[in-house]
Amino acid sequence: MGVDTLSRRGLLAGLAAGAAGLAIGFRLDGADAQPAGPAAPAMLRANPQLDSWVRITPDGRIVVLTGRVELGQGILTAMRQIAAEELDVAPERLALISGDTAETANEGVTAGSQSVRFGGEALAVACADARATLVGVAAQAWGVDRAAISVRDGVIQGAGGRSMTYAEAASRVSLVRPVDTSARRKPPAAATLVGTSYPRTDIPAKVFGQQVFIHDLRPEGMLFGAVARPPGYAARLVSLDMVWAKSLPGVIEVVRDGSFLGVIARREEQANEAARMIAASAEWREGAPLFGGKSVFEYLRTAPSETRTIHSTEGGGPGARRHTAEYRRGFQAHASIGASCALARWEDGRLTVWSHSQGPFPLRGDLARGLRMQQAAIRVIHVQGSGCYGHNGADDVALDAALLARAVPGRTVRVHWTHEEEMTWAPWGSAMVVRLEAGMAGDGALTSWAHDVWSFPHSTRPASTDGCNLRAAWYLENPVPMGRITDGALPNGAAARNAVPIYAVPGQKVTTHFHTDMPVRTSALRTLGGYFNAVAAEMFMDECAAIAGVDPVAYRLRHLRDPRLVAVLRRAVEVSGWQPRPVTPGRGRAQGTELIGTGVGLSKYKNSDAHVAVVARVAVDVGTGAVRVQRLWAATEAGRAINPDGIANQIEGGMVQATSWTLMEEGRWDHRRITSEDYHAYPIIDFGHVPPIESVLIDRPDLPSIGVGEGSQAPTGAAIANAILDATGRHVPEIPFTPERVLAALRG
Amino acid sequence: MLRISVNGRSSEVDVDPATPLVYVLRNDLALNGPKLGCARSQCGACTVLVDGRAVRSCQMRAGEAEGREVTTLEGLGTPARPHPLQAAFIAEQAAQCGYCTNGMIMQAAQLLQDKREGLTEADVREALDHNLCRCGTQPRVVRAVLRAARQQGA
Repeated sequence: MGVDTLSRRGLLAGLAAGAAGLAIGFRLDGADAQPAGPAAPAMLRANPQLDSWVRITPDGRIVVLTGRVELGQGILTAMRQIAAEELDVAPERLALISGDTAETANEGVTAGSQSVRFGGEALAVACADARATLVGVAAQAWGVDRAAISVRDGVIQGAGGRSMTYAEAASRVSLVRPVDTSARRKPPAAATLVGTSYPRTDIPAKVFGQQVFIHDLRPEGMLFGAVARPPGYAARLVSLDMVWAKSLPGVIEVVRDGSFLGVIARREEQANEAARMIAASAEWREGAPLFGGKSVFEYLRTAPSETRTIHSTEGGGPGARRHTAEYRRGFQAHASIGASCALARWEDGRLTVWSHSQGPFPLRGDLARGLRMQQAAIRVIHVQGSGCYGHNGADDVALDAALLARAVPGRTVRVHWTHEEEMTWAPWGSAMVVRLEAGMAGDGALTSWAHDVWSFPHSTRPASTDGCNLRAAWYLENPVPMGRITDGALPNGAAARNAVPIYAVPGQKVTTHFHTDMPVRTSALRTLGGYFNAVAAEMFMDECAAIAGVDPVAYRLRHLRDPRLVAVLRRAVEVSGWQPRPVTPGRGRAQGTELIGTGVGLSKYKNSDAHVAVVARVAVDVGTGAVRVQRLWAATEAGRAINPDGIANQIEGGMVQATSWTLMEEGRWDHRRITSEDYHAYPIIDFGHVPPIESVLIDRPDLPSIGVGEGSQAPTGAAIANAILDATGRHVPEIPFTPERVLAALRG
Repeated sequence: MLRISVNGRSSEVDVDPATPLVYVLRNDLALNGPKLGCARSQCGACTVLVDGRAVRSCQMRAGEAEGREVTTLEGLGTPARPHPLQAAFIAEQAAQCGYCTNGMIMQAAQLLQDKREGLTEADVREALDHNLCRCGTQPRVVRAVLRAARQQGA
């Protein structure tokens, strides 16, 4: 379900079709030109019309369209570079349309570090096709070979000063037709824009306070909506004095549909205050306590789950020694700085929604099922929100806005959740338990590797074909339940993302214990299960290296066969000045009251994308158990870099975020709901704790671009964990590594 | 009726004086700079300058702003005449989603007023310690503020 299935399906179809497409489509006359990547035909087959990717208007505007959406990751800048490169147009001249169900291609959800790899490739092929077609028009008009023609900023130029604008050329040919997927991209060596750190096009507007965010939209006559929340997830509304509710200051309408309860008011603060008062005065019937009163880890290990072995390889004996360890991580939040927001307006039975959802098209489908209407009557338009880092409240709030706006046809209603609503009612990243068991030969070589993961779902996004994954739908008088929940399958996985080892070990086995009942609703948090699976595996590698008495880097190199992973590991080791040494349990290098340690983490995101190695140096206060990350180093390789500074921003940002996850973040709950409702209860990293970061990029223009946006989380967490092991010699099995846990390990 | 002066312009707003200033700035005066974040003075996204001092506009009542000069991000500089911080944030590409950017710039604006010379990285980190960024752009933000300080000093 969700993006991962969609894209996986696309990927598999693309792989199957790719070989044929290559044979038919790749012309031998352009030996240095790049054929379309294997997955691009699938994305183009789903959206075959050339005019859903690029349009030349009669007045000469060049419009580029992408189904991908800006989340703060800089994707629209990268898309602009890609399109401008293939079209030979100055990037500033392109008009960009993104994520609009009435305009753009349906590219599912912008997630999983897939935009450049799949969406960018498709856009590039479409733009290359458009350019070739327009050049062909000029060549024919002038009776010359197309090889004698060049394009400069959208003007086709021939010998003797002849020229023709794209608009003129476009007037003589139809670009309303399927994309010719055999179109050749410009060879990387000829690129002038792709591969450069072209500045982000959205940053100026953000530093000058121009209208950028969905929260800044203020259509004429807009009203403000807010939802009155039940006291817990399972609570249901018994009664409410509607007359009193309607009399609250500023209130225009009170909407009740089953246990969905909301208000529309003239002013934002009035709507919020009325919703708060209504929630407090309504009578609710409480549900059963969360997790049956157990700890979440006990629940994960003992409540019924679907157990499946999803990966295994032959070979490998039991080994001379065995090592087993278990690791745990609690719930973690997206904790966006700006809470989720949507605008909705009904007119003549048609609904328009402005949303910062990662998937405008999937959202439209779920809105249609939740509202029991045809999706053709709904338009979803993407507008940027605050960074989301996965499936936060962005989709839910759209249904809230639609349900409220239905009471005031013709008026636009904006719903901007409070931060407490975001923390309490949006999906969380799943708590997880990972158990690892390895066999080792007498020389320390790994002979078997078993990875078991207990987890709740990592994708309950909209986009299921049944049900409705928008929370309000479950509370309606006539509820629309969630669609069927499935775990994402390998190779990329969801609960088991990055559970398949990156190391060459015979006798591999990966088993999932998947919980579809979610006392706390969970969904995609940046990397899904990838962060924790890889952190656990990398912690385990260091423990195995310690048993073998080998330097952690040398131990990894001994088990690596992937030259790209070897390259980033060697580079990170080089820039960090890594001093080879075996991990010696129980011995830290003391410096005053602190123990200093260095650790390494390595990952190939989704076993298919960015290769990232991170080295961390930490100081552990022996008196308090507090861990301070002194410095982080990273080396990244993700094929051809579209925008090196964009990659640096994502990698370094991911390292800061992962430092916060690893040391600080854990959701808490009572019998009714999550109680970590603000930044006091759920602190995230502040400036004082952000370590200095040095990151280097290995650019490989000879290789296709692969996903990079989520590449640094796991290796950062792993490097910090292993640095703590190096410093303290103690196994600290539970993330976050709070002072209490580290102290307990030190004293244990 | 409330009369408040924002970015050098005086406006009359028909609102309860107890209304948090951020709602008045955003919804009545249609300013985009100050962002509504946590509304609990924990994140800093809503920061504005009141008589030159950085203030969380989610905590200040609109009535308290009467008779004082409020400056938002829009009033700090324009694309034609950017404040050194605005120019520096662009130069350093110091944003991802940009939702916290307003608070970072406004808080740093006070810092640059207070300490015109010899600004260190530690000063910047301390001044911004109550401004949160979830994307992890803190290292870039620090570089941008230091760049602006150099620019201002030049």
